[in-house]
Amino acid sequence: MRPIKTTVARFFYLFLPLLTWSISNVNAQQMVSDFNLLNVDGKMVSLSNYPEAKGFILVFVCNHCPFANLYPTRFNELTKKYAAVGVPLMAISSTDTIVYEEDTYPKMVEKSKREQFNFPYLFDGTQAVAKNFLAEKTPHAYVIWKENNQWVVKYSGAIDDNGQNPNLVENQYIAKAVDALLQCHEVEVPATKSIGCRIIFRE
Amino acid sequence: MKKTLLFACLMAFFISATNAQSYNNLWIPDTLSGTNFNLTIKDTFAQLTPGNQTITGAINGKFWGPTMFFNKGDVVHLNVLNKLNEATTIHWHGFHLPAVMDGGPHQIIPPGTLWQPYWKVTNNAATYWYHPHLHEMTMEHITKGIGGLIIVRDEVEGALALPRSYGVDDIPLVLTDRDFNTQKQFVTVPYGDSMMVNGTLRPQHTVPAQVVRLRILNAAIERSYNIGFSDNRNFSIITSDGGLLNAPVSLNRYVLHAGERIEILVDFGGQSGQSVDLKAYNASLANFVAGSENFQNGPFGNYLGKKDFTMLHVNVGAATANPVTTIPTTLTNNVLLNAANANITRIITMSDSMGVTNPPILGPNAFIINHKLFDIDYNQYTVPLNNTEIWEIRSTSGFGHPFHIHDVEFNILSINGAAPPAAQAGWKDVVFVPRQQTVRFIAKFEDFADVEHPFMYHCHIALHEDEGMMGQFVVKDLSSSTLNPIATTDDIVIFPNPVSDRLFVSFTDPNMEAYYVKVTNALGKVKLMLPQPTLTDGIDMSRFAPGVYWLEVTDQKTKKTISKKFVKQ
Repeated sequence: MRPIKTTVARFFYLFLPLLTWSISNVNAQQMVSDFNLLNVDGKMVSLSNYPEAKGFILVFVCNHCPFANLYPTRFNELTKKYAAVGVPLMAISSTDTIVYEEDTYPKMVEKSKREQFNFPYLFDGTQAVAKNFLAEKTPHAYVIWKENNQWVVKYSGAIDDNGQNPNLVENQYIAKAVDALLQCHEVEVPATKSIGCRIIFRE
Repeated sequence: MKKTLLFACLMAFFISATNAQSYNNLWIPDTLSGTNFNLTIKDTFAQLTPGNQTITGAINGKFWGPTMFFNKGDVVHLNVLNKLNEATTIHWHGFHLPAVMDGGPHQIIPPGTLWQPYWKVTNNAATYWYHPHLHEMTMEHITKGIGGLIIVRDEVEGALALPRSYGVDDIPLVLTDRDFNTQKQFVTVPYGDSMMVNGTLRPQHTVPAQVVRLRILNAAIERSYNIGFSDNRNFSIITSDGGLLNAPVSLNRYVLHAGERIEILVDFGGQSGQSVDLKAYNASLANFVAGSENFQNGPFGNYLGKKDFTMLHVNVGAATANPVTTIPTTLTNNVLLNAANANITRIITMSDSMGVTNPPILGPNAFIINHKLFDIDYNQYTVPLNNTEIWEIRSTSGFGHPFHIHDVEFNILSINGAAPPAAQAGWKDVVFVPRQQTVRFIAKFEDFADVEHPFMYHCHIALHEDEGMMGQFVVKDLSSSTLNPIATTDDIVIFPNPVSDRLFVSFTDPNMEAYYVKVTNALGKVKLMLPQPTLTDGIDMSRFAPGVYWLEVTDQKTKKTISKKFVKQ
């Protein structure tokens, strides 16, 4: 018969990884490199195509995820608000298209037309960009900012705190981060956990 | 003026107090009936708490799945489409069916794949369930909310004057608990802080003022629930896991362990306008039973440990027309298996792996069965077809474990030497093995011989099972020889090719029959899995996108697989 204390200790040891509040994606202040991805208009897009940009809102999304599908209207609004002041939004689809035919490039083109996206919707077919950012879920949003000609991650995580009901949002994580950066302030909440469908990386 | 202010303050207090204790109406899962059942497993989200939605897994809906009604004797066809991001399995808990249809860790459904098991329902009328069973992922997939109830009906149960208006006087109660993080998302932990019934937090339900049947499933990851009513009234247990008891068993407390089901009758006659709480009296759970621990912190820390808590607030409304007003005195006449007919007694051990050095246990410190962690390639037992066997579960573990076996319903012979309590003296598929005690049960392994696909036995605490507290057995037909398979001229012909609607398969050797059929697309992705299909009507290809596919047919006897390429127009 084992003393209960030992049992507790053993369980604790076993479950330590489960407990850890792991924000394992790219950390704030980390630098990320440029990419070159196919947009739904047939053209290739890179960060360097926007020499005037102060920063970007990058959102990993996909066609199939019901939670990601709650956000395109909000992406259009963020684009309207921030593209003109030098912070464009770009959406990137990196999910496994062998598993999800809905997430293939032609379906992305259809969706962007149907839902009148006013932002680039980029196809990351090799999943390389999502891997570089360590994006975990769709949607997973980043705010990156230009510092000394490098792109630095200033925010990573959820877009806001209510997917289904925009009227009940209490924390506009993305908007707050961009507003702070535009005023040369530090981002108050630099990371949250992204919420949505897990991006499974092909082996 | 002062009075008005005081009144306003009192009102504010009253409102906030009411809010703090406000109930949500109990969600009753939708139903499916007939013989063809479409189940789509998917990632989705649900509004379970105020604020952001919780990412869930569900079958057809938002959280949890539909309740399916089966009739004993029917052949049921399940069309299970996995639209999750990842592979999973769906196990038909409690059902007697071919291992290849069982949905255990071997019957993996890749994402995007349709799996079509079918079987003849031979189980007795009772409440069963279905849930994921992918090894090392069971806890996570169940936590997401994937699962559902199955209600079997038969003539014996149908002849009794029992409540059976689903959601009215026959109410499913799926008990579980969950943890939510600050962003309102599930945390995959063995014990949650929040009790949920049918995916509803702080639920209330109005029952009619008459005899009501509650079908209760313990769908928790780990916790046992010591069920009782706040006024200590008695309730009558009418089923164990796999069928009616001979007679109702009247009790005011009953401990239900993970995976177990009971149906109870509760008399609310003449109580219209009153309320009572269905509670878990877990402060009085015996030590070393899941939920009896009082951990404040750490991975097992939770608010509900060793506490009494309300599971469902019950309001009694008006009686329905033609209510059931009496509880029957007898239910059925179970013919239990006779220990004298058993020709094998198997000794199964349950223990703790920590400190085991000879031979050493590789992997995590876990609870183990037969001194091994689960190995998906190792069959511990070969059970002869039609054998009646006694399984003796000897626990040296420091913790109690609900033991579940696939394929069969069994009869408990003894728990630590004593006869089982009356509420467990029928057909069971989960039995709680208390810490350092021995449980003996008897089962007959009929009908489904298959040496390729094994059945499982395991602890139904999903955490323990995922960590390796599981073993497997095959049922083998010793009378038919498979030693000399015919393997000379076997081939298949498929037609028409190209196909637009149904693809037909013909065997060149009449001794061949399909054990397994898979359809794979040009990228190598499995699109369709058909265990032991009847191929006479062909394979429905109408929903497939045009393109090149491969058909793989595995022969029943030789287990040889033949592949043919075809084109879908």
